[in-house]
Amino acid sequence: MNLELIWDNLPQLLKAFLVTLELSAVSIAGSTAIGLVVGALRTSRVPVVSQLARAYVEIFRGSPLPITLLFVYFGAALYLGYSVELFVASAVGLSIYHGAYVAEIFRSGIEAVPTGQREAAQTLGLSPMQTFRYVVLPQTRRIVFPPLIGQYISLIKDTSIAFVIGMVELMKAGQAIVDRTAEPVPVYLTIAALYFVICYPLSLWVRRNERKIVPA
Amino acid sequence: MTATTAKEQSIASSIQLRAVTKAFGSVQVLKNIDLDVASGKVVVLIGASGSGKSTVLRIMSGLETADSGEVVVGDVPMHDPKRAPEIRGHVGMVFQQFNLFPHLNALGNVTLALRKSLKMSKAEAREVGLRCLERVGMQDRCANYPSQLSGGQQQRVAIARALAVNPRIMFFDEATSALDPELVGEVTSVMRSLAADGMTMVVVTHEMGFAHRTADRVVFMDDGVIAEQGSPEQVLKDPQHPRTQQFLARVLEA
Amino acid sequence: MLYQWRSVLEYLPDFLRAMGLTLWITLLAFALALVCGLGAALARNSKNAVLRLGAGAYVEIVRNTPVLLQIFVVFFALPSFGLRMDAVTAGTVAIGVNVGGYLCEVFRAGISSVARAQREAAQVLGLSSRQAFISVIAPQALRNVYPATVNNLIQVLLGTSLLTAIAVPELTGVATVINARTLLFVQVFAIALVLYLVLSNALSFASGLLGRVLFKPPLEQVRPGLWPVRRARTITTTAEVAA
Ligand SMILES: Nc1ncnc2c1ncn2[C@@H]1O[C@H](COP(=O)(O)OP(=O)(O)O)[C@@H](O)[C@H]1O
Ligand SMILES: [Mg+2]
Repeated sequence: MNLELIWDNLPQLLKAFLVTLELSAVSIAGSTAIGLVVGALRTSRVPVVSQLARAYVEIFRGSPLPITLLFVYFGAALYLGYSVELFVASAVGLSIYHGAYVAEIFRSGIEAVPTGQREAAQTLGLSPMQTFRYVVLPQTRRIVFPPLIGQYISLIKDTSIAFVIGMVELMKAGQAIVDRTAEPVPVYLTIAALYFVICYPLSLWVRRNERKIVPA
Repeated sequence: MTATTAKEQSIASSIQLRAVTKAFGSVQVLKNIDLDVASGKVVVLIGASGSGKSTVLRIMSGLETADSGEVVVGDVPMHDPKRAPEIRGHVGMVFQQFNLFPHLNALGNVTLALRKSLKMSKAEAREVGLRCLERVGMQDRCANYPSQLSGGQQQRVAIARALAVNPRIMFFDEATSALDPELVGEVTSVMRSLAADGMTMVVVTHEMGFAHRTADRVVFMDDGVIAEQGSPEQVLKDPQHPRTQQFLARVLEA
Repeated sequence: MLYQWRSVLEYLPDFLRAMGLTLWITLLAFALALVCGLGAALARNSKNAVLRLGAGAYVEIVRNTPVLLQIFVVFFALPSFGLRMDAVTAGTVAIGVNVGGYLCEVFRAGISSVARAQREAAQVLGLSSRQAFISVIAPQALRNVYPATVNNLIQVLLGTSLLTAIAVPELTGVATVINARTLLFVQVFAIALVLYLVLSNALSFASGLLGRVLFKPPLEQVRPGLWPVRRARTITTTAEVAA
């Protein structure tokens, strides 16, 4: 195998890897914020609100990420001009899309908290917001964290899909080297290793902490 | 039934435990247990949680093997790993959590072993199964799935399932502990009627009323040993061992 | 506005053809995923250490690197080893192998989720371990893994959109081509979105119907979709959470 080729291109790959990490971090924050809001709205007792949140979730869970990315990219280009940063478009697309999955995770966590908890908080005089923030949310932690980290792993891998709108992150940078050198094997191995070192420890953590499937 | 078969049966449904020990890892759960159950008798095992009652039942029913000592159930020497499997299908076990098969309806639960291990025809199994369900008063609910039954009904189906293979001995491990108080009676009355029919039974329970009225003997276990045993009158009304006194005081207070 | 929709709708036959290819690749890749997942699950539980390790490595690598990379590896790198496939085949293989890694874990969890208590109940009744597996464990395991398996079918469907990166004329790829031609991205991608939603909802809905007839008692709601549903019963007491 061509080690020299890896060595020569390593700085370039590492720089792109840094972009991947940044994109991941920003999108994780964005998808969590969206997921928290949509997940909470999904459990709302106002039917219109919960149905709108449900539609949001089901639309993104039923369509592929490239469509969302293309929408955001061309939409931004049309309304904001072509100067729009690919990074921003990618981060927005990833956040919107993964936000739908994150919302489902929060929803199931919220619904697992017994209603008695909410009623107790209400009788104590907490507002609905306070009840959510101080009573419900803390209790969802154990249920929510493992699948949430699992979703973040998917998101990190999915940053590679920003490829379809031309965002230069690890995958795209690697493919450029493959196109230039016609040496796919060492380049792909390097890329795989870089994704693996990030995702595998997270996967191990998820496996250790996830609740086992229980029969219905 | 002729006299000889009756005698054979009376031999074959007794239980003897001699110097039985069992450890899980470094925890010695059973320390030198001796226990005899004559055929047709009802023995009630009481004791604090963790004292080893379930482990005794599980060893007698073949779900665990003793580390040392002799265990003879019916005519099967359970301490002989080659012969222990012979007990399967000859004893019945009723669990605290029912353990009904959720994908089968009541009749399906009761007939599964009849069809698969006794190789009965469908019609024959159905007939036996319905008879068993009738015995526990559940024939009307034979088409219901476990999730559609109350706890007491589920437990009665579980008893019918155990009875279907015509066991000579029945074990009950806290069969009523998972039930709402008002449902306990329907299960204990089925258990009492089995006892009246001469079934050999070993029953782990916290229902002191059942123990008092139905048991031939009450055995109190404490930390892996049998601390005291005797007639219900003796053990429940006039306990000698301080741990038995403590335990009963706590149970009766609750 | 209207004429824009009309000019994009002229391409509807192209969209529908692409949708057909998407569905076809989805079904093939899912079949492959089932085979890979089942094989890997058996291998991971086997007594042979080499099989166990191999299956473990397969699952971890596939689950911890991007699918897009796996698609590229099959399409661009395998030819270096003399394995040359056309784009559709390469894409089908890559996605099938990828989702197989996820299904492997689903199947393993499904078998171990059937409680030990159920095996014991079967054992006391006198069922052999083979009979217990066939009559007690497998039916419950199948029921337990069914919803997760359907989710993975949808993941296969969504994954096929990545094949646009190796120029497979599936739905996303065709949409980008039409977009480049018409420059009407709202209409083009809206149509693509709707067609994907039709596919994913149809697959979920059909799987739901199948789940109702396949399992007893009927499996309620396998995977929600955009169709209206009765509000699922929510858990209300601590006892139910613990149960
Ligand atoms: N499979 C097992 N592995 C480890 N420890 C066990 C196991 N089964 C029971 N024990 C332990 O053995 C002790 C006795 O258990 P058990 O027989 O279930 O008691 P009881 O039924 O009287 O409550 C307990 O301390 C329990 O934690
Ligand atoms: Mg016990």
